[in-house]
Amino acid sequence: MTGVWALLGALAAAGAIGVLLKVREGRISRAKDSIDLPAPVRDLLAPGVTLVQLSTTFCAPCRHAKVVLRDLADRTDGLTHAELDVTNLPDVTTRLGVMRTPTTIALKPDGTEVLRVGGVPKRDSLLAALRPHLP
Amino acid sequence: MPKDSPVDPRGPRFSAWMTTAILAIVLVTGWWRLLAAQTVLFAMCAFISLKLNPWGHVYRYAIQPRLTPTTEREEAAPLRFAQGVGFVFALIGTLGYATGLTTLGMVATGLALVAALLNAALGLCLGCEMYLVLRRFVPALARPQ
Repeated sequence: MTGVWALLGALAAAGAIGVLLKVREGRISRAKDSIDLPAPVRDLLAPGVTLVQLSTTFCAPCRHAKVVLRDLADRTDGLTHAELDVTNLPDVTTRLGVMRTPTTIALKPDGTEVLRVGGVPKRDSLLAALRPHLP
Repeated sequence: MPKDSPVDPRGPRFSAWMTTAILAIVLVTGWWRLLAAQTVLFAMCAFISLKLNPWGHVYRYAIQPRLTPTTEREEAAPLRFAQGVGFVFALIGTLGYATGLTTLGMVATGLALVAALLNAALGLCLGCEMYLVLRRFVPALARPQ
């Protein structure tokens, strides 16, 4: 009987985690306080706003995020997309306070963070949030 | 470690449903030998090749021909990493059940079931998304440069 309760508990936990992750997927969060950007990130910055997408080799949704962000950058003046593979760059993710991939950070040329997105971004809401910062 | 080709993403989803069913049977019955077999399967897929997964063959021969063809492909590396995470939990679960630490066995099996079900139902790879966190605790996950 204990096993049945364990099964029900696992199903409930999966349901709760699934709902939580779906709600958080693509959600835009406020910029973190200004930090000294790691060099591999700073090297990617371009004029306007740069969407720095942090990915790993083991991240399946990173591919979908890349498609969305690349398309958005191609169609939007002053917006650049750059992907950084952090599989072997744990110091970079620690300094940026990133715990999951894909995470996308929008940065100005001086390294100021505009916003960040966890998971696969939602195109329209991301563009709306970026508008005030685009040239 | 040999490299696998990208796969039809519906295959791993089917496989995850089968894994969920197996882990559910283990939780309800406490049949640890079935969990041991699943552990071996996880190990083969993670450390040798995804082609050794029998559910992949069932999908290819019995299910895929009945579905609309898709050009979408999923990289093998995240899938193999997920199998590796599954292997760790299934191994702990098997050892727990086999040594009389039933609670440990149930907790580890339950966690593996949560991950498998999220993968099957929503296509979410919990272990893959949490790679950065896992790596902080297990530096050995680092890939050779």
